Amino acid sequence: MTEQNAEETAELPSFDSAALERLKRFGGGKLLGEMIALFLESAPERISSARTGVTDDDAKTAEMALHSLKSSSAQLGAMRMYRLCEQGETLSRTGQLDIVSLLVSDIEQEYPRVQLWLEAARTESTS
Amino acid sequence: MKRVAVVEDNADNRLLLQAILDGLYDVTEYENGIDALAGLAADLPDLVLLDISLPGMDGNEILTRIRADDALRRLPVIALTAHAMSGDREKYLAHGFNDYITKPIVDESLLLNAMERWIAKSADGALG
Repeated sequence: MTEQNAEETAELPSFDSAALERLKRFGGGKLLGEMIALFLESAPERISSARTGVTDDDAKTAEMALHSLKSSSAQLGAMRMYRLCEQGETLSRTGQLDIVSLLVSDIEQEYPRVQLWLEAARTESTS
Repeated sequence: MKRVAVVEDNADNRLLLQAILDGLYDVTEYENGIDALAGLAADLPDLVLLDISLPGMDGNEILTRIRADDALRRLPVIALTAHAMSGDREKYLAHGFNDYITKPIVDESLLLNAMERWIAKSADGALG
């Protein structure tokens, strides 16, 4: 990731709570809680699969993992995670795995923040 | 109740679609292309929601097979995709999808209206 890209990404909001409200509208606190649980269950596997893809020079594996994580992140409003995955997916498709590797590092650092945010949202929606 | 087949590998997306379609459609879920093609042939729905990015056989290939099969080819099929790039819509429609909905789903009425429209057209015999 270039410095300019990093700055642009950092300036945009990390989280969009409207996405969580939307899920509640679709299916109440129950759906929101289940969607969060599925995300927290699958995201670490997808991040690790993206890392394996980069390490093994397997762009397709990295692309699929980042695509799935992108989609789930967007639906839950984890916007910074979404943008990092989107960049990683696009660059995997063009085989630029050296840059994807840096993005996966950013994703690995972003994940604990997303986890905290979603766990707080889940507690709030069930209390 | 009209019947819809959802082909989607991600559990969170299946759960979300279930919630949106609950009470409106009778939903059958498939997680991959092989199961979907076998299931659709055995138990024809009124409409298919087809994810593009699937492991193994992707949505484009599944659609090609649906359109090549005499029993399935008239099915209305809506593409669901998180690849939202300009020109994608035209690309998917040209490939033979009836409609195209992007993920994340923000406004469920876009999906529901498209489903209703294509099921009505199909019932009028306007497809195929």
